[in-house]
Amino acid sequence: MEKGKEPQRKEVEKIGAVMVVGGGVGGMQASLDLANSGFKVYLVEESSAIGGRMAQLDKTFPTNDCSMCTISPKLVETGRHLNIQLMMDSEVMKVDGQAGNFSVTVRHKPRYIDISKCTGCSECAQVCPIITTSRFDEGMAQQRAAYKLYPQAVPNAYAIEKLGIAPCRDACPAGQRAQGYIALIREGRYDDAMRVIKEDNPFPGICGRICNHRCEEACNRNLVDQPLSIASLKRFVADRVYAQPYLPADPLPYKFEEKVAIIGAGPCGLTAAKDLRKFGYPVTIFEALPLAGGMLRVGIPDYRLPPQVVDREVREIIDLGIDLRLNTPVINLDEVMDEGFKSVLIAVGAHEGRKLPIPGANLPEVLINTQFLRDVNLSNMGIESGNGKPHPKSVVQNRHVLVLGGGNVAMDCARTAVRLGAAKVEMACLESREKMPASIEEIHEAEEEGIAVHPSRSFKRILDKDGHVAGVEAVKVTFMEFDGEGRLNLQTEEGSEHILPCEVVIFAIGQRAGLAFIPESAGVGVTRMSTIAVNPNTYAATRPGVFAAGDATTGTAYVIEAVAAGHKAAASMHRYLRGEEMEPAPRPELPVVKMVKEEVQERVAKGEVNVTPRVKMAASPAGHRVSSFTEVSLGYTEEEAKAEASRCLACGICSECLSCYYKCGLNAINHDMVETQEEVNVGSVILAPGYEVYNARLSQEYGLGRYPNVLNALQFERILSASGPTLGHVQRPSDKKVPKKIAFLQCVGSRDQNHPYCSAVCCMYATKEAIIAREHEKEVEPTIFFIDIRAYGKGFDAYYERAKKEYGVRYVRCAISRVVENPRTKNLLITYLDEAGEIREEEFDLVVLSVGMVPSASTKELAKNIGIELDAHGFAKTDSLTPLATSRRGVYVCGVFQGPKDIPETVAQASGAAAAASEILSEVRGTMVARKEYPAQKEVKEEEPRIGVFVCHCGNNIGGVVNVPAVKEYAASLGAVVFADENLYTCSQDTQEKIKKAIEEHKLNRVIVASCTPRTHEPLFQETIREAGLNRYLFEMANIRDQCSWVHMHEKEVATSKARDLVRMAVANARLIRPLEELTKGVIKRGLVIGGGLSGMTAALGLADQGFEAVLVEKEAELGGNLRHLKTTLDGKDVSRYLEELTARVTHHPRIQVFTNAVITDFSGYVGNYKTSLMVGPRMFSRDVEHGVTIVATGGEELKPKEYFYGQDKRVLTQLEMEAFLHGDGRKIQELKEVVMIQCVGSRNEERPYCSRVCCAEAVKNALTLKSLNPKARVTILYRDMRMYGTLEEDYARARKAGIRFLRYEEERQPEVTPKDGRLEVTFYNPVLRENLTLRPDLLVLSAATIPADTAELASMLKVPRTADGFFLEAHMKLRPVDFSSEGLFLCGIAHSPKTIEESLSQASAAVARACTVLAKDQIQISGVVSVVDPDKCAACLTCVRVCPYNVPVINKEGVAEIEAAMCHGCGICASECPGKAIKLQHFTDEQVMAKCDVIIEVLSDVFKGERV
Amino acid sequence: MEDFEPIVIAFCCHYCAYTAADLAGTMRLQYPSNVRIIRLPCTGKVDVRHLLEAFEKGADGVYVAGCMEGDCHFLKGNFRAKKRVAWAKKILEEVGIGGDRLEMYNMSAAMGPRFAEVAREMTEKIRKLGPNPAKKAERKAHSAERKENDRPVQSAERAAHSAKV
Repeated sequence: MEKGKEPQRKEVEKIGAVMVVGGGVGGMQASLDLANSGFKVYLVEESSAIGGRMAQLDKTFPTNDCSMCTISPKLVETGRHLNIQLMMDSEVMKVDGQAGNFSVTVRHKPRYIDISKCTGCSECAQVCPIITTSRFDEGMAQQRAAYKLYPQAVPNAYAIEKLGIAPCRDACPAGQRAQGYIALIREGRYDDAMRVIKEDNPFPGICGRICNHRCEEACNRNLVDQPLSIASLKRFVADRVYAQPYLPADPLPYKFEEKVAIIGAGPCGLTAAKDLRKFGYPVTIFEALPLAGGMLRVGIPDYRLPPQVVDREVREIIDLGIDLRLNTPVINLDEVMDEGFKSVLIAVGAHEGRKLPIPGANLPEVLINTQFLRDVNLSNMGIESGNGKPHPKSVVQNRHVLVLGGGNVAMDCARTAVRLGAAKVEMACLESREKMPASIEEIHEAEEEGIAVHPSRSFKRILDKDGHVAGVEAVKVTFMEFDGEGRLNLQTEEGSEHILPCEVVIFAIGQRAGLAFIPESAGVGVTRMSTIAVNPNTYAATRPGVFAAGDATTGTAYVIEAVAAGHKAAASMHRYLRGEEMEPAPRPELPVVKMVKEEVQERVAKGEVNVTPRVKMAASPAGHRVSSFTEVSLGYTEEEAKAEASRCLACGICSECLSCYYKCGLNAINHDMVETQEEVNVGSVILAPGYEVYNARLSQEYGLGRYPNVLNALQFERILSASGPTLGHVQRPSDKKVPKKIAFLQCVGSRDQNHPYCSAVCCMYATKEAIIAREHEKEVEPTIFFIDIRAYGKGFDAYYERAKKEYGVRYVRCAISRVVENPRTKNLLITYLDEAGEIREEEFDLVVLSVGMVPSASTKELAKNIGIELDAHGFAKTDSLTPLATSRRGVYVCGVFQGPKDIPETVAQASGAAAAASEILSEVRGTMVARKEYPAQKEVKEEEPRIGVFVCHCGNNIGGVVNVPAVKEYAASLGAVVFADENLYTCSQDTQEKIKKAIEEHKLNRVIVASCTPRTHEPLFQETIREAGLNRYLFEMANIRDQCSWVHMHEKEVATSKARDLVRMAVANARLIRPLEELTKGVIKRGLVIGGGLSGMTAALGLADQGFEAVLVEKEAELGGNLRHLKTTLDGKDVSRYLEELTARVTHHPRIQVFTNAVITDFSGYVGNYKTSLMVGPRMFSRDVEHGVTIVATGGEELKPKEYFYGQDKRVLTQLEMEAFLHGDGRKIQELKEVVMIQCVGSRNEERPYCSRVCCAEAVKNALTLKSLNPKARVTILYRDMRMYGTLEEDYARARKAGIRFLRYEEERQPEVTPKDGRLEVTFYNPVLRENLTLRPDLLVLSAATIPADTAELASMLKVPRTADGFFLEAHMKLRPVDFSSEGLFLCGIAHSPKTIEESLSQASAAVARACTVLAKDQIQISGVVSVVDPDKCAACLTCVRVCPYNVPVINKEGVAEIEAAMCHGCGICASECPGKAIKLQHFTDEQVMAKCDVIIEVLSDVFKGERV
Repeated sequence: MEDFEPIVIAFCCHYCAYTAADLAGTMRLQYPSNVRIIRLPCTGKVDVRHLLEAFEKGADGVYVAGCMEGDCHFLKGNFRAKKRVAWAKKILEEVGIGGDRLEMYNMSAAMGPRFAEVAREMTEKIRKLGPNPAKKAERKAHSAERKENDRPVQSAERAAHSAKV
């Protein structure tokens, strides 16, 4: 490869942007590195917040750092970065194009909350009635459907979890959000519940009584016990709300001129009238009857539906400002149209009852259902029917009544007849008893009232005795069915004719609409079934502008259908009148959440759902009720209603109750959001989708999910977290008691048949959890059951030792066979096989399963969508020499998706992937990034302070507790404050503009915001004032939410008083703050790499390929380092060839200068501007290099052991020597019969307490090579723990399969080697066999420790720290694995700690990416918060030089201390230590601190003396 | 001294203790309003002078809250603070104010509950100890030199505000 560049395959127009998939710690790191080195980044995350798994962790090993503390600044930085565009709730669907220019299709799932408007105020969650389990807390805590993933989540915006439509809502023709009002009933929020019901249905009281409630049939609760009593709950809400006095709402405003007419004031007409009135039309209703309500009012007897309920609900609609014309039958439709109505809805219902055309039907005692009921209802109100016929009561009283019909109307007729005093009431119908259309409750209640039913009868004639009814002749029906067109197919039993005696007959066999008012000339078509012909989608009749809906178009149906039709018709009329497309626009389609039995039963098993039948509603006894028309069902009490409501399964999660919508003051809620797709153009793609923990329910022997006290490790992590479900108290789920004995079971879902890899982190996290549990509760006794302890990382072994010695963590090497619960104590009995093969049992209080890492299903889907290959386990397929590249060019990978690994390796890989992804785009660096331009800064130094104070309500969060107007007034009264204002949400976009305007108008030169916390919001407001021309440092915040209104929620006066004090403190401080200069320094675009091994060469090449110059310094005469001694990798790659190619690329690269035989003699400068002096070559020329960054890759080497006759007996080799031997003389290899390898020679001992990490794999590699060359040779590896972590586990298995013997020895009893009879004799104690074994090998191979290069002098020149073991110490073990704490200095490779080729390659690339974040900048901006020295006061006492953790202060030529601003971190330690007070930390001066102190003392003295509240 | 309400000042580092205080709020953990927080970049910035002057001016209790030992964002600022607190305690003891009125606490950013607990603990402890003995003498002298411009412009107006609350 010439010139260090791959030849271009095809010219593509490159795009200076990268897509990163996955917002965990890896994705964030890659995004930040890319964005900070001149690339636009699209960060795609499938959940609602970034942070990934690390955000869930309590502490991190091996430092026990708080996970949230360390990740939180990264979250904020990622979220705020100008060039990182977050794509939340999103997934990658497709990647087209090629490396350099991809077109990625991204799917955005609806979040239902607009991120750009949401300020994270939490009010939506506060009003959300839906309780669900928190995924972040691994199902151990509850959250609301409107949620933020975790308190520190970025973006700081809520989301709504919505699975789909609950089946109850789906089954309802009107789409009632039953789940919503049920949840609100449970919370006791009846007015809100009423609002939800009325979203879809203006008749809660009516439908709560007489609806046929199909919702209840669909209810998923049917799978558990009984469905929710949904209708009764609705009735409860109505009764409850209507018990309050009625306050009419103000009439709605008119928005449109077009007049609309509605014919019929029944449920359909009224629903449409309400909707149209809400749209803003003038609405007139024509009603033939003397009262409104239609069938509801005159068709349903009062004992079932009290008239006052109907009247109330009708009145609420009419009071919206509707012209209701009673007693106004429409005689001719054309006359209505001529009156100037632009659109008419015909909703006349079906009020015309029918008689059968049989002999005797015209006798005077033959009545018709509708007329009968109407007359009774009207007469109950004292209104005469006016039809000249006798009152129905006089007809039925003391007579024998037979009702013909089996529907609910027939029931109404029969039960009404009972109440009118009939002597006897019977019913007869066509249908069989089972198929009677009336509801079961109705039939039941009717029978209670003494009504006999004769099912399966057809009627021949009505007997006429002297012109009066004397009975009905009937026949028995054997079969009946209506065909598709409504025609009856009937079979009767021959000869079954019989007489049903009676004196009165009431026909109740159906109704139809009275359509006489529609002349044929009207152009409104009517069907054969005597209904109005309409388009079923729009309810438009055949004449333009005329619509029809309800029973008039369908025949008799239920109220709820009339309501649904009314809504739909109104919407159509609105579209018609607005000249829009008549067909409705398609709505977002959500799936219906139908549960399956197993699913529900699992919830029952988990205790999330209790089996409880529905709460019965009381009814008045039959004896009482037959004598009056008072209501039969008595309704729920509040207690009953709440109990019934808590049975709801909340199937859809969000129920669209709209509580959040009405609460949100920012209009951020949008329940109509739909999924969208977007195409994004990028040059390369990085995949960092992370992992899932193994679902240990699948391993039933451990009892997870069955036994409450068995948890997985992530659940236990949440328990340990101070902000977790138990606030960090270690307690077991079953009884909340502190568990004494805790067992950790290792390798659950790792190292098994389905997961033949090691998950690489579980040994350490179990150790950590054991330590932390014990730190929290002293009595905890943790035991870890394990196979090998794989503490292979930097500092891990020391941590493991500490766990054993300091914390008393017990480690038991064994295999677990099962876990069984003691059902009484809920303790867990563990049966295991100890190392010696004996079965043991032990009881524990709590069991934690150390679950492994598995790629998630969505990750596999992602791989498929992108078209990259996966390995057998579902991890991305990579190569040990190109660990970050996937099978598709231009697509890179990092983190666990590449293979199980811990956080620092993920972070290093992420940076490495960023380097790889940007390398192919280096020529388009900076082409897609936005740069912010600011106005010139105003000169305010000499001005008197003019302070503006902005006090925030934060919705209700502050305003609901603190008297914000009072705080504002108080602020305005303070000296130097020239302006004060209050805002609902100070962080919203429009308020930023208000602040800028105020700065302009009131000539403000200091700004204070009293709101939430400066940790999250200070940068935003600083940005705002900078945009208004003020220096960023002229800003101050008062934390009146997190540290005031939230912690004094129940003491409003105290909170208000404290808020005023906090504002006053801020004012006192603001008077003293000064504009600070942010210096900029140029950057020398050259990197110095120290060390010419694999890492150093890779780093130098990386810098050069990124377009920067690199200087590579190697102390030896040639490049290559340890790589020169390695021949192959474990997966068979040719290392020698790789080294050759790499060396050629480095030495021929035009931007790389190589110095061999070179030593560093001097080092000075700071980030962007370093100067290094070298002595080069055999003749030691002196050279100076100026560079912007430094990468330390000084490596290490294999220890020359002192043990086991190494160096004395030539049959004793190290592993590197063995590798050379295996690539040497073939005959010698064939001669070998017995080879023994000893692990941990010089590692994990007192002198070197660390694990050398690579030797296990190196031993396995050499053993396998030997076996392949000489299968007869016996190879035995003596080990303490085989640390074949990650996918190396498979090689370990391969080695065992190849016949290589692995025998353990114990640390306390090291193997002994003695030369005997010219042979080597190796003797060791094997704990499995519990005896001493002796082997006589031809070769003894020692897995010697890896030791760091001697870097003491270099470290002191660079002023960078090293560990006790002599490796360099990074800035942060977890999140800054390749950074030194001083800016601009980086490290990689074995200089950091022992590591494999693959790991060194990743780290070297990582160092490149980190270095590019400096080199890509033309200038570096330096924070103003730095320490400055007053030279006049400095006595050069060296205190500052001594105390600075970063070695920044120096004594300069003038003999006084000097602090280079570019290097200062701004901690202020020097300022506080300086005995002469010559140093001050800008922005945090002593005057400022003391001014705050003064205010606190003064105001609190006043408060406590009683001068103020 | 039953109705004595102590004035407690907490110097909190930005990265851990101040964050824990915010978290206490997020978790709605209630603690007494006697504790007032002064935010610093690092507890390493806490000066012995700040600690002593706070008492001189009338604080009844003071505590410094920084990161967990070994977790300092600035590597070792909290160790510096620890030493200074120990030194200041000694001085307070010697001058008769009492070293118990000053404490150093360590907490991580996730320890919201701990923050609230410390706030309650410290308030109760100081309440038991009673008012700062230096206060009576010092406060008089001190109030004479109050800077008027930090205070509300008109005291009548101020009284009106107080009445409103």
